[in-house]
Amino acid sequence: METIALYILNGLSWGMLLFLISLGLTTVFGVLGVLNFAHGSLFMLGAYFSLQIMRMSHNFWLALAFAPIFVAVVGAVIEKFILKRVYVRNVSYQLLITFGILLMLDDAVRLIWGPAYHVIDPPQILSGSITVFGRAYPVYRFFLILVGPVLGIFIWAFFSFTRLGKVIRAAAFDREMAAGIGIDVNKLFTLVFGFGTYLAALGGALAAPHQSVGPAMGERVIIESFIVVVIGGLGSYPGAFVGALVLGIVESFGTAFAGPAQMALPYMLLAFVLLVRPRGLFGKEV
Amino acid sequence: MKRMWLVCMVIGFLGVVLCPHWAMAKDTAKLGFVYIMSGPFATYGQFAKQGAELAMEEINQKGGILGKKVEGFFEDSQGKPDVGVRVIRKLVMQDDVGVLIGLDSSGVAQTVVPLMEELQTPLIVTHAATPAVTGKLCNKYTFRVSVSLNQNVKAAAIIASESKAKTWTTIGPDYAFGYESWEYFQKYLSKLKPDVKFFGKEQVAFAPTKTTDFAPYITKVMESNPEGVLISLWGGNLIDFVKQASEMGFFKKDWQVLMTLGAATEVLYALKDKMPENLWVGTRYWFLANQSPLNKSFVEAYHKKYGEYPSYNAHGAYAAVYAYKAAVEKAKSFDKDKVIQVLEGLELEAPIGKLKIRKEDHQALSPAIWGKTKADPQYPIRILDPVRIFPAEQVTPPIEETECKMK
Repeated sequence: METIALYILNGLSWGMLLFLISLGLTTVFGVLGVLNFAHGSLFMLGAYFSLQIMRMSHNFWLALAFAPIFVAVVGAVIEKFILKRVYVRNVSYQLLITFGILLMLDDAVRLIWGPAYHVIDPPQILSGSITVFGRAYPVYRFFLILVGPVLGIFIWAFFSFTRLGKVIRAAAFDREMAAGIGIDVNKLFTLVFGFGTYLAALGGALAAPHQSVGPAMGERVIIESFIVVVIGGLGSYPGAFVGALVLGIVESFGTAFAGPAQMALPYMLLAFVLLVRPRGLFGKEV
Repeated sequence: MKRMWLVCMVIGFLGVVLCPHWAMAKDTAKLGFVYIMSGPFATYGQFAKQGAELAMEEINQKGGILGKKVEGFFEDSQGKPDVGVRVIRKLVMQDDVGVLIGLDSSGVAQTVVPLMEELQTPLIVTHAATPAVTGKLCNKYTFRVSVSLNQNVKAAAIIASESKAKTWTTIGPDYAFGYESWEYFQKYLSKLKPDVKFFGKEQVAFAPTKTTDFAPYITKVMESNPEGVLISLWGGNLIDFVKQASEMGFFKKDWQVLMTLGAATEVLYALKDKMPENLWVGTRYWFLANQSPLNKSFVEAYHKKYGEYPSYNAHGAYAAVYAYKAAVEKAKSFDKDKVIQVLEGLELEAPIGKLKIRKEDHQALSPAIWGKTKADPQYPIRILDPVRIFPAEQVTPPIEETECKMK
């Protein structure tokens, strides 16, 4: 039935956007062991920087290329001067500090760009709709469905086959040993956090034409990103992919068929996974 | 050494926090404002603040209220009831305001309104539209100068009854405002057109306010094939929804769409030409609707100061400040109990038109405004053409219907 196909497309496009956002979150946790609460705000910053670049250049691809880089720099600065001090401490410090960063970024964005919403268009080739099963379906959503797996494969390939990728995985596996054989773990961690931020901001730049850009857009996705990452397994890429897919489809069909109960579904899914398989679908044994 | 630093910082911090408080212990008329200033609905608070500041500036230029300069204290409710309560207590007890003006969220209003009896301070609501404010929860300290949910939705029902749509569904935010809009719409429309059918709980769409991707709801409603859709989404939700729905062909279907708060300038400025034309949208105030000299000068002054046309939230705050001024001048006193007595039944000329605050429930008898969106090269946003102004008597529920029992 055409309707089911539409629900699946909706679930996939939302799921892939979630995947892009969760990629950065799971990278940072997998390698650095840090649960970055401010991840959503970095996503938002990516959207705003993208908005700014698009305003000045009217070029979506330029914004997509550069906005995440600028935000990654912000992320690296945050890691170097704030986060480094809490690695050795209790997880609660990490949550508190990253939450504090979230609040500061939110207000900074509001002070610089104002509280209003901004709507931007996707670029010409990606705008408009194609007819799918007799219904109009936005081209940009198809773009999101494609970008997700492509990016996922790139990143997986990076970590599996490149030297830098292996070095990062080594440092994540055993920090002391890696330092012992001469790897500059400090610089590496700043790099990885910057990379995680880059992914969050990329998610923001990609999300900007899809929804509006406005204050607190980070908070609205962060909870679901956490759910995706936990369901998939903290630190696992295939996990984030499957988790995002599952959540996207569940939410799409839940909205259509579960009526008022639909809001509880992501959390029920989370609770179920935590009870039955706490490390997540693809997570490593704790 | 580190300890000394810490001690100095704490003292410095305390100084910064307390200093303004000492400096402001002058004799002014203090007005407290509570709006959503952060988060997804922050623009509404911002616009309300602009309207309020314009009013206070105009009043101060003419000598203030009873000779005292007016001073505004703005607080952020963040749309959360517990925060709303906290900041209201602060405004009343710490800042010693003579009146509270504000409230965007119906959820916050429902918690805060009963508190007014304990705080014994007048509250003039300028946005939160839940019927409860001047209904179930009415009390002698609470007033509302803005169009209520009942008034807005009754007008929607009238428009709906004139269309040929026989089956209706809704898309709204997943909290009191969304549910009540739907509930009252069904109530009013079934009286006007008894053969109309409404979709049940399983088919209607209520989206949590944190939703950014409305596709599942859009698809659900489009596939269920109603003849009419009532949309009570507002703020950022409405902006995201309209953008995504247009891309999915929602507005090309041959059905009746009513957006109860589609004409909020917060939304129109964000969407600009992405807002489809020929859509019936409602608002609580429309800057071009009233040709009176007062409205024209308000719109001009606001546009000159802020570079935009006033939203309904700006108008609400503006009108509330002037209502308070009128009440204090009539009572010849700032005493809170005298002020509330005079606010009852107060008649005020506001930019929207003549407002009369009904004695029995403290709801302002205000016209409700709907219109069809249209592009106009003179304005950067969609304007309304035609505009339909529903007179207060046509849309305001009679007292018996409001469940208000004023003590």
